[in-house]
Amino acid sequence: MSEKIKRRHFLKHVTASAVAIAGTTIAGKMMGGSGEVTACIRPPGALDEKEFLATCIRCGRCGDACPNQCIQPFTEEVAKTHAMKPGSAQRNTPVIFPRQQACMLCNSVGSDHLLCTEACPTGALQKTKKTTDAILEHVNMGKAVVDKQLCYSFNGASCGICVRACPLEGQALTAGMWEKPLIDESFCVGCGLCERACVRYPQAIRVMPREQLDDV
Amino acid sequence: MTFEIHKLQGARRAVQLTVIFAMLLVPAISRYANYVAADEIDEQIEGWEGSVQGSTIAILDSAFRSLPNGEMKREGLDVSERDTQGVIRHTQAFRGGPWSAELFGVSVTDPLGGLESIIARKHVAAVLALSLVVPVILTLIFGRVFCSWICPMGFILEMSDKLRNLLKFLEIKPFNIRFHRGTKFSLLAIGLFSTAILSVPILGYIYPPAMISREFHDLIFTLFDRAEAGFLGWSFVGLTWMSLILLGIILFEVFVSRRWWCRYVCPGGGVYIVLGMKRPIRVKLLESKCTRCVDCVVACPMGLNPMNNQMGTECDNCGACISSCHDDALKFSFALNDVSEKKSQPIAIPVLK
Repeated sequence: MSEKIKRRHFLKHVTASAVAIAGTTIAGKMMGGSGEVTACIRPPGALDEKEFLATCIRCGRCGDACPNQCIQPFTEEVAKTHAMKPGSAQRNTPVIFPRQQACMLCNSVGSDHLLCTEACPTGALQKTKKTTDAILEHVNMGKAVVDKQLCYSFNGASCGICVRACPLEGQALTAGMWEKPLIDESFCVGCGLCERACVRYPQAIRVMPREQLDDV
Repeated sequence: MTFEIHKLQGARRAVQLTVIFAMLLVPAISRYANYVAADEIDEQIEGWEGSVQGSTIAILDSAFRSLPNGEMKREGLDVSERDTQGVIRHTQAFRGGPWSAELFGVSVTDPLGGLESIIARKHVAAVLALSLVVPVILTLIFGRVFCSWICPMGFILEMSDKLRNLLKFLEIKPFNIRFHRGTKFSLLAIGLFSTAILSVPILGYIYPPAMISREFHDLIFTLFDRAEAGFLGWSFVGLTWMSLILLGIILFEVFVSRRWWCRYVCPGGGVYIVLGMKRPIRVKLLESKCTRCVDCVVACPMGLNPMNNQMGTECDNCGACISSCHDDALKFSFALNDVSEKKSQPIAIPVLK
C-alpha cells in the first residue's frame, strides 16, 4: 500500500518535473532564440549591456528613485511610442528615452550620489558620486551625434540650443562658428539633455546607445 | 524552551495588508516626488482636485510637509513653504516592493533575486551581499516567514482559500490534486541552471511577489499618466497580461489544487525552505495536552499536519495552527539542536479532508 502511494507520488513528481522542464526549456528557447538585444540607453552608471542584463533583477527601484522620471521599465507598451521593441531578455529593465525625458544627472537634487545608482540593490548601476570626475569615470549612457543634414546651425541658421542645454557645456559640447555644436566624445556621457532640447523635428542631435557606437 | 504567542494572527494580517498597501503607496510617492522636483505640485493638486490622483498627492503632500525639514520659513514673512530638497530626501526612504526594497535605510533583496543575479553574473557585488544580509539572517532563524508574513501572493491565496471553503459550504466540491512537494526544488534547480546558461535572471519574471509589485506599479503609474493627459479618476488600464497569469494561479488554487503555488511550484519558497532548514524556531506539539481534534490540520494553510509533530521544512511558521488550538497543545519552541524532529513517530490522523 505504502509502496503504491510512493510510486504514485513519484510518478506525479516526474510528470510535474517534466512539465516544468518543458516549460523552462520553451521559455529559455524563446529567450535564447530571440536573444537579440535592442540597443537602448541605460541609466547612469550601468555596467556593459550583457553584464547589466545578467545583474539587474528588474526591481524598478532606480525608476522610483529618479526625481526626473526619465527611467522607465522597458516594456512593449513603453517602447512602442518610441518605435522600439525590447529584446526578450530586456523586458522590464530600466531604460531612458532622452527625447521624452533626459537624465539631468540629479543636477537640482541635493544628494551626494546619483539617486538611481544609490537605489540599485544589485550593483547593476554602480554607485556614482555627483562630481564631474566620478560621472566621467562611471557614466557612459552613449554619445551625442549630430546629423548635419538636419541641424539648423549647419544649414545657415544659428541655433545653439543644444550647447546651452549641455551640463558639461564648454567640455562635451562647444559652440563653433554660427553656434555649430562641436562634440568632444571624451567628455560626453550621453545624458541626452541636448537631444531633449533640440528644436528640430526629428531631432538633429541624438544620443547613440553604447552598442551602436562601434557601427558609426 | 518554549514560549506562547497568541494574538499572532492579527499581527500577521496587519503586516500582510501593510505590504499590499505599501505596494500601492510607493509608486504614488515616487510620482509625488517627481512633481515636487519639477515644481509642478501645486498646480497638479489644484487642477486634479476631487479625483483619486489629486487627493492622493494632496494627502502625501501634507504628510511629507509635516515631517521635519519638510517646510521652511519664507524669508522675512510668516509664511512657510515646502522645502523641495527636504521633501525629496524624505521620499527617497520609500522605494521598492516585496522583491527588493529599502526598509529604514537598509536595502533588502529577496534571496531568490540575489541568488539569480549572482549566478547570472558569476560575480558577487558588495551592495548585493549587503542587501541579502537581513533577509538571509531572518530566514535562518525564523524559517520561511517571508511567505507567511510578507508575500502578497501568500496573502491573496490565503484569502482565496476562504473562497474555496465557501465552495465547500455550497456543496460544490473543488478538486484537490496533490503534486509532489519536491517539484518546486526541481523547478528552482532548472530555473537557476537556465539562469546560469542564459546569463539572465529569468525566475524573477514568474515569481509572484515580483509580478504583483510590477503590476501595482504599472497600475499606479498609468493612473498618473492618464491624469497628466486629462483623464482623472480610477482606471485599470495599467494592468498587463501578467495579471491574467496571477488570476490563473488564483483560479487554479480555488478550483483545482489547494495552495498549489506555495506548496508545489514557488521557486522563491524553495530558496526560503533551503535557508530555513535548520531554523531554531519551530512549531511543537505537547502530546500530553493534545486531544486529537484535528483543528490544527484544518487550519494549516500549507496543508501540513501539526499533530504528528514533524513540521519539517515546509512549515512557514505562520502560527495559524497555534491560534486554532483550543487546548494550548501547540507552541513555538526555540531549540538550536532539534532532536524530537527525528525521534517522534507520526500519529495516525482520524480524519483528513
